[in-house]
Amino acid sequence: MAIFTRTTKNLILKIDEFFDNIDLGLLVFREGIKAYLAGDTEAFGRHIQKVELLENNADRLQRSIENEMITHSILPQHRGEVSSLIDLLDEIIDTIKASLTEFSIESPDIPASLHHHFISITEASVSAGEELIPAARAFFKSPHTVREKLLKVYYFESETDKVIKNAIKIIFHDMKELDLAHKAHLRYVIHHIGNISDNAQKAADMLSIMAIKIVM
Amino acid sequence: MIILFLTSGLLLGWSLGANDAANVFGSAVGSKMLSFRKAAIIASVFVIIGAVVQGAGASDTLGRLGSVNAIGGSFTVALAAAIVVYMMTKFSLPVSTTQAIVGAIIGWNLFTGNPTDAGTLTRILSTWVSGPVLGAVFAVILYILLKALKRKSAIHLVRFESWIRTGLIIVGAFGAYSLGANNIANVMGVFIPAFDLHPLDLKLFSLSSQQQLFLIGSLAIAAGIITYSHRVMQQVGNNIMELSSESAFVVVLSQALVLFIFSSSALSALVQKAGLPPIPMVPVSSTQVVIGSIIGIGLYRGARNINFRVIGDIAAGWVLTPLIAGILTFFSLFFVKNIFGIDVGSKTIGTSPVSLPSTEADPRISEIMQYLILGLIVVGLIAILFYYLLERKKNTELKKSEEKFWKNMK
Repeated sequence: MAIFTRTTKNLILKIDEFFDNIDLGLLVFREGIKAYLAGDTEAFGRHIQKVELLENNADRLQRSIENEMITHSILPQHRGEVSSLIDLLDEIIDTIKASLTEFSIESPDIPASLHHHFISITEASVSAGEELIPAARAFFKSPHTVREKLLKVYYFESETDKVIKNAIKIIFHDMKELDLAHKAHLRYVIHHIGNISDNAQKAADMLSIMAIKIVM
Repeated sequence: MIILFLTSGLLLGWSLGANDAANVFGSAVGSKMLSFRKAAIIASVFVIIGAVVQGAGASDTLGRLGSVNAIGGSFTVALAAAIVVYMMTKFSLPVSTTQAIVGAIIGWNLFTGNPTDAGTLTRILSTWVSGPVLGAVFAVILYILLKALKRKSAIHLVRFESWIRTGLIIVGAFGAYSLGANNIANVMGVFIPAFDLHPLDLKLFSLSSQQQLFLIGSLAIAAGIITYSHRVMQQVGNNIMELSSESAFVVVLSQALVLFIFSSSALSALVQKAGLPPIPMVPVSSTQVVIGSIIGIGLYRGARNINFRVIGDIAAGWVLTPLIAGILTFFSLFFVKNIFGIDVGSKTIGTSPVSLPSTEADPRISEIMQYLILGLIVVGLIAILFYYLLERKKNTELKKSEEKFWKNMK
């Protein structure tokens, strides 16, 4: 029984650590984009390294959590759903890493007039992800509070869509000085930032169903 | 010859193990909270302890319903009940061993012209109603309490499930103990008047004639659990309603409590002391209590969760089981008596239960029993050691494969 208690404690710690990684990843992403827009390449490079570390750690934790749940038959009835949720959360940090890597390799040329739009998009998208983490934590401790926490995720996801639409409209309608390739590249980068909130919404949908099932 | 007659009781014990153990651990195994192997080992050990330590109470009531006073009669009654239970288990119909044996005893009463004690029968029948109702009430109360506790404590889901699993093991052991204590009367009750064995001194403790019979019967139950209950366990619970881990825990606990209430003489005495009517010591159907508990939770959560068609089948089974067992016993007794010329019992004078031991204390049987019990203890210890080594090997292999995986990842 002592071995089992230790396993339980370890698993709880790993799940919490996984959430911490995602949360931290979102924070670093926001700072990374700000550093890129400010032209602070040193800080941006540091942020990329940090995100890579967090993403690797999240992958290791994800496998370890799934392994432990299967080998020790923990949460037999919720195992599949918890694994899917962790998978969806992992996609968020994967997107963060992919997006920052894109900035690093492709070095998109963002006109100064678009900086505040990029910051708004990043803020809204990252906020959707950040609001998801307390909801995911609540699923394990107080599932009846999950749905109210998810409302903010849905709000920020729709906000992200709005600011993205607005920014793209400006790029294609108002910025005649940019060539089409430049415009397409900016749209591509913007969509990648927006993917964070889309992934957060997917996880929120899943979490919402999981919460209903467990509260019933 | 005497031991040969016991085989029908053993077959009934095996059927009970195959069918009724599923009531104790079915919801736990069905909800994947416990592995079948773990459940089978716990159930087997505690059924044996319950039967030997506390099995006497409920068996007295069956003796009063109809005191089968010849070994041929006991054999036929137990065989008919065993066939009914086996056939219904085979067709995956939830069946009550209690109902089968009661039907079979009434069949014997009718054949031999003995009156059926109406008072005892009423008491037994009333528990067939009060058992599931009590199960449902306990289940709803426990479910509400558990949910409230979970919500208030804000316990981590992983830890909660871990506690539920530990709880299931403890409560399942208690349920198996109660099952052994309450239902051993169904298996060996009819043989008590016909058997008289020497008390068996095992140095640490001694076993009376009745306890020796109960030990043999409970070993048959354990064999039924290990060999055949897996399939039934997978079906119990999920058939009527999909059970969550906490529902599984509540069902097992309420079933154990109800069975314990109807088999604890000490509790009955305590109730009497408080000026209340005594609790009848009656073999209650664990199947009925489990179904009552599941329906209770289902109704609390909203009747939409319940599969009413399955409940209809179960209700039909409750009526058919004693009826078929009674008819089968009646005709079997006719054949055993008239074709094989074996004494199946006679009409007793008056309505009071009369015990007519057909066998006298035979030192050879006691000797066989002594060796049998010793052999079984040795086999049991070897089995436990084997299980431990197997688990250790499995854990080591898992650890190795995980280490290898991470090594390759690096």
